[in-house]
Amino acid sequence: MITLTPRRTPAESDLSPDLRGRGYRLAMALSRARGAPLAIFWSLVVAILVLPIALFLLVAFSPRLLSQGPQWISLTGFREALSGPLLHAALDSLMVGILSAAAATTIGFATAWLVLRTDVPARGLWTGGMFALLLAPSYLVALGWERLLEPSGVLDIIGIGAGTVRHSFYGPVGIVVVLTTKGVPFAYLAISNALRGLGEELEMAVRVHGGRARDAGRIVVSLLAPAVWSALAIVFAESISDFGVAATLANDAHFPIATFTLYNAVDNFPINFPVAAAIGWILMTMAGLALACQSRALRGRCYRVIGGRTRPARRQRLHAPARAAALAGLSLLLLVGLGIPAFGALSASLIKDLGSLASSHGLTLSNYRRALDSPALREPLLFSARLAAITATLTTVVGAVSARVLADRSSRLSARVLDLLLLTAVALPGIVFAAGYIFTYNLPAANALGLHLYETTTLLVLAYLATALPATARVLLGPFGQVQHSLGEAGRVHGDGSGAAWVRTVLPVLIRPLLSAWILTYCATLLELPVSQLLYPPNHPPISVGITKALANYDFGGGTAMEVIAILFALAVVAVAWGLFALIAPAGWRKLGRSR
Amino acid sequence: MTVRRRRRAITTSSAAVAASLLAAACGSSSPTRAATAAATSSAAVPLTVYSAQGYDSKVTAAFTEATGIKVKLDDDSTGPLLTKIAAERNNPQWGLLWVDGDTAFAALDKQGQLLDYSPPVTLNAPGRALVPADHSYVPVSTTVMAALIYNAAKVSAVPTSYQDLLTAPYKGKVGMNDPSQSGPTYPFIAGLMDQLGGTANGVRAGEAYLTRLKANGLQVFPTNGDTLHALETGQIDYGLIQSSAATGEVAKSTVSAAFEPRIVYLPKSTLLPGVIGIDKAAPPAEQAEAKRFIQYVLSPAGQHVMQTGDPTGDSLYWPVVPGITAVSGLPAFPSRYQRIDPYFWGPLEGQVNTFFDTNIK
Repeated sequence: MITLTPRRTPAESDLSPDLRGRGYRLAMALSRARGAPLAIFWSLVVAILVLPIALFLLVAFSPRLLSQGPQWISLTGFREALSGPLLHAALDSLMVGILSAAAATTIGFATAWLVLRTDVPARGLWTGGMFALLLAPSYLVALGWERLLEPSGVLDIIGIGAGTVRHSFYGPVGIVVVLTTKGVPFAYLAISNALRGLGEELEMAVRVHGGRARDAGRIVVSLLAPAVWSALAIVFAESISDFGVAATLANDAHFPIATFTLYNAVDNFPINFPVAAAIGWILMTMAGLALACQSRALRGRCYRVIGGRTRPARRQRLHAPARAAALAGLSLLLLVGLGIPAFGALSASLIKDLGSLASSHGLTLSNYRRALDSPALREPLLFSARLAAITATLTTVVGAVSARVLADRSSRLSARVLDLLLLTAVALPGIVFAAGYIFTYNLPAANALGLHLYETTTLLVLAYLATALPATARVLLGPFGQVQHSLGEAGRVHGDGSGAAWVRTVLPVLIRPLLSAWILTYCATLLELPVSQLLYPPNHPPISVGITKALANYDFGGGTAMEVIAILFALAVVAVAWGLFALIAPAGWRKLGRSR
Repeated sequence: MTVRRRRRAITTSSAAVAASLLAAACGSSSPTRAATAAATSSAAVPLTVYSAQGYDSKVTAAFTEATGIKVKLDDDSTGPLLTKIAAERNNPQWGLLWVDGDTAFAALDKQGQLLDYSPPVTLNAPGRALVPADHSYVPVSTTVMAALIYNAAKVSAVPTSYQDLLTAPYKGKVGMNDPSQSGPTYPFIAGLMDQLGGTANGVRAGEAYLTRLKANGLQVFPTNGDTLHALETGQIDYGLIQSSAATGEVAKSTVSAAFEPRIVYLPKSTLLPGVIGIDKAAPPAEQAEAKRFIQYVLSPAGQHVMQTGDPTGDSLYWPVVPGITAVSGLPAFPSRYQRIDPYFWGPLEGQVNTFFDTNIK
């Protein structure tokens, strides 16, 4: 057993009282400083999550507190939010959230299993496809479908009547399909990271004791329960808080969703923050229910399976029919999630007058020429790229600390509080953060304390961090939850300090999930819209604001070309990140976490 | 110093170091207006412009070049700008707001957020009609709502009144924007109500008209762009949208056998002005700069930049300054127009939008 408390040695006992006192003070200072990182972490959580969310939600009860109405105490916002079309929208959100979470987790699990545990061909393609799915903003996926199915759209132009499909897709079916494809990569990342760390010793043990493959499979599913529940919770929360689909497909189909009603309450005159805050409470309650389900399912169980003896699992050989079915399923997933929206985006940017009644639809690069020549693209793209890199790095570090706190069984209370906070944050749309940040950091009291963060790049990055942290922490929770304490202790037994032991023994196991988290955050931040729109510093618009402005000015071709260029830029960054990992990372790091 | 206080000191200083590092990494640092105002002389305060106009970046650049006054431009759609102003209510950061429509300005005026200002410029008749009694905001241009844009390649019937749209030739063929999402559309509905029943009975008469229009197959799309897209793709043949968007569509479109957009104005067209308001809470120096900005915008030089800054979008407005001619391609100003009282109709916007969401959409 290693003790962290400084002990006095006999030699120290012989020192003069003065030196002994100095040594003691030094040891105590070091001991206190050891707690500082955690204190900083919680201070940061309070600053970026608790305060902005709390102030925004408080407006539901006390509009006057932030000058949003005459009443100090009022429940008018709740009355409006829980009646008529707003209540209908909340119930719609609940339904599509449950369906999307169940479907995305099932598909994500199957994809992770096929890629990591079988010899299905083109595994790199499917893994890359998951990241590409993350890159595509949900509104782009929805618009891609709309370009295909709308009157005078692609299907109509090529002579395929789309009436029946259009009728059913413009509604809950289409919304669940798009949200599911957007949720699959979250589920895939959560489950695949956990699956990578799970060796096949336990499966072998089942087989050695006479169990069948089905029994071994059941053991694996049970051991992956934290990741599966994490996936369900995160996809549910992401789905009910999604704004892209709500603002496009759902809005066009006149199928109201809670996030859009919330957005409407604060984005259109008359601005109604109390109603928006009441809808925020409803979304938060839904996320809380998801968390309660997760907590109830995992209560009292331990899932630590990664240790020094864990070995990568072998791949199963698929028979020809199974392989064909797997390939067909994975191809369909990428076609629905990527192929169609990519086609929609490319056609809108490359084909002249697509979606119009014009008789000819030739190809043109003029939209790209305009976009590349435009200062509205270049500077915002570089600005967003810089902020996305900073945000991704910060989020990965803070997300790792969060995942460690969440996985630490000795700090159950702080883990539960943090878990509740993070899931709450996932469930609230970005515009809630943005408004909450204005409420918090534009308060005269904040200015009086010397905090002049409003309308600065720093505040924008902090808000990006707040929006990205919940998803990143939950994605990292699976892998962090699997690392046994003995792994780090083994390093210390061999003479390393705590930091060095972590770097030498734990980091190699976690480096792939951490890199995945960095890339996930980078891509999500690069095209983030609601927070950017309200918090960007004057004269420095991010790329998403530029794209929105082009689209708002009816420049669909130019706006879509800007989107395509931004996404290609993000893909290039992803390729560079993985390329550097392959070139620079030690061989052991690259080997760990890979299946044989 | 106790252990707890020392620990707090370590935490606080560590957090401060972390915040400084982050600020340095971001290269941040446009300080806020309060900080700037405190740190510099009053004359050096930059003018913070919140604007949703397509030509605003060009106008602000030209203004800075002409006057030497630096401008911090927050260019966004009207919705997010009004959201920011509402969220900033405790500590306003904007100096000047420039968007289309005067109902939001009337509300800001009622909340005491606007500085009264009457620029030394005589406006033309539509311009004068738009000036509020207390001069709390300044109209600097105008469009109308609605222009009826139709596809002449597909239909031959052209309505001459709003009542015509309730008849058989237009069944299932008319589209309009959603007032909950499209800023210019509520003034259109309010104008319709005003002309159907005045302030006394307009809401009821307007709701009855919209209900009948819905029964005749009215289709609702989110904003101007979406309604235009519906017209282009044949989902509708007639669209009620903002005049600048309709004129821009006609200017941009290539006429073909399948698509030939044309515009007609049904009486009465409701004026939808481009409006500037000054923040009453801004520092005096910034308010003075805002006044100079308004004067510049109303000058021939400013109007020229506005008319050339966004040729197929917001530049397609009718001037309110005598002696400035509208850009070529813009049809004649509708002879039968009206101005609605934003102080009466503005507060009804939530009620009317809820009716529309529940019964018409």
